[in-house]
Amino acid sequence: MTPLMLGFLGLPAVLILIFLRVPIGIAMLGVGIFGSWLITGSFNPVAAQFKNLTYSTFASYSLSVVPLFLLMGQFATLGGLSAGLFNAAAAWLGHKKGGVAMAAIGASAGFGAICGSSLATAATMGQVALPELKKYGYSGALSTGAVAAGGTLGILIPPSIILVIFAVLTEQNIAKLFMGAFVPGILAAIGYIIVIMLYVRMVPGSGGVRERLPYSERFRALARTWPVLVVFLLVIGGIYAGIFTPTEAAAVGAAGTFIIALAARSLDRKTIMEACLATASATAMIFLIVLGAAALNSFLALSQVPQVMAAWVGEQGFNPWVVMILVLIFYLVMGCVMDSLSMILLTVPIIFPMMSVLDFGLTPDEFGIWFGIIVLIVVEVGLITPPVGMNLFIINSMSSGTRLSETYRGVLPFVASDLIRTIILVAFPAITLWLVWLLY
Amino acid sequence: MFRDESPLGRTVVGLARMLAIAGGLVLLAMVAMIVISIIGRALLFIGLKPITGDYELVSIGMGFAVFAFMPWAHLTRSHALVALVTDSFGMRANNWILVITDVMMVVASWFIAWRLYFGMMDKFAYRETTLLLRFPLSWAYAMAFVGAVALAVVAVYVLGRSLTCALRGEAEPKRAGGEL
Repeated sequence: MTPLMLGFLGLPAVLILIFLRVPIGIAMLGVGIFGSWLITGSFNPVAAQFKNLTYSTFASYSLSVVPLFLLMGQFATLGGLSAGLFNAAAAWLGHKKGGVAMAAIGASAGFGAICGSSLATAATMGQVALPELKKYGYSGALSTGAVAAGGTLGILIPPSIILVIFAVLTEQNIAKLFMGAFVPGILAAIGYIIVIMLYVRMVPGSGGVRERLPYSERFRALARTWPVLVVFLLVIGGIYAGIFTPTEAAAVGAAGTFIIALAARSLDRKTIMEACLATASATAMIFLIVLGAAALNSFLALSQVPQVMAAWVGEQGFNPWVVMILVLIFYLVMGCVMDSLSMILLTVPIIFPMMSVLDFGLTPDEFGIWFGIIVLIVVEVGLITPPVGMNLFIINSMSSGTRLSETYRGVLPFVASDLIRTIILVAFPAITLWLVWLLY
Repeated sequence: MFRDESPLGRTVVGLARMLAIAGGLVLLAMVAMIVISIIGRALLFIGLKPITGDYELVSIGMGFAVFAFMPWAHLTRSHALVALVTDSFGMRANNWILVITDVMMVVASWFIAWRLYFGMMDKFAYRETTLLLRFPLSWAYAMAFVGAVALAVVAVYVLGRSLTCALRGEAEPKRAGGEL
């Protein structure tokens, strides 16, 4: 068999293994090692490569930002910042029709600004918002749907762990990607709020209102969220201004949220140990997939599949926009069954060079940012699409008395808003890029 | 024997937990080191300076921490997987799928530890060091090797655990797998 044929068999092999419940990182690692072995006809090159590959993949300065952002999210959760954010958002929005659910979205957006992970945002917001939503008579479907959707803001609004991985994978500038994610993130929050406005009007009795608070109290509640603003400005401002490398910014953020948690008196031996263990699980999960991707990519590079695919797509004279839409549909379908990070690590090494040869009227730099943000959004939709959406599972398990089918139904309008936003962002790259243009 | 409540299980779980926490503490130390280094850089004008080789220290710390996290993640089944198709297969089939994937993890972890060992020996032989601190890479590899060996041991234990469950026809507690 030619190397090229082996390469083309590689991806279906990985997918079959994954669907047979092989851990995704192991499936990629195994196919990568065996593929390279078959192509070179000898085990020695792979064996020699792995003397250093695992260590150099794990001991990576550029990827150290991943565990540090995870740690930051852990301390932010311990610091009780989610409660403060929710109270502030509810003070401003709670008296509107559907306002308590809107507050959950607003608070998720705020928490997303200091947390790079979707699940952590959904989980911590669920703890704070679900009891309040219940108290004001919100239906299980709307409550769980809104909180699960709000969780995706955690990863869309910078900092974002998935964007870090995308940046490392495609050699993009992390700071520019973060800036690019900002406007789409805000648009997502606005879209979700519009969904809630429509939902409570179309489904009567799905949500109540809180009493209206005077402006003095609203501002007081808002003022109490200052630690979030300080940490966000330090982290994102520091990266943007070039004062910090992303790793330094993440360390500053972790230190900041550590101090906040300390001030909230929620740090003791037990909670610190739990924060370490949660960070350990998530970090190990990510790095096993990153290692698998490294092995798989060196196999694919040997087989020349990415180059051949890119050249082929370039020669066919396809309409770039048609290809883009097909790629996004592929991601949406995959997202229904697979987690976002694995999808990015598995597909981007082939799809990114392939898409780069198409002409969207953007510079390579602009294309990288725009494509990264769009892919991030569509894979994140996977977190809230039935049947397999981790945010749905987590939030549903936290809301007693709500059936999973109700959550599935409740989240659909939010998925629809995600799709509409994706279409808008694909059609108008300038929406994603204008902040980047403005700042750089 | 291969149950988390048994003496063997408690030892393995305890060790993996300790190692993961040690990795977490190294991350915390990294945070402190980076913050101190930033402060030093900001206060150059009063004679302070950034920590020399902070970049290298982060990399060495990561090498230890990420390897140290691996056993805990495998033990608690935190790795990302797709259970959508296999969920319709019934408990017996799923038990044996788990056994097979655990065998794959044993093979992978032993392979990684085996190759890392020779990588480490190379570093000892060539006395390679980091650029600024002249820190021997052999030691950095040795620290990473601790986690790699622990993963190899834990993988065998986890295989024993799933095999016991499969033979007795009991389901292991189900976990959905990881996600960000």
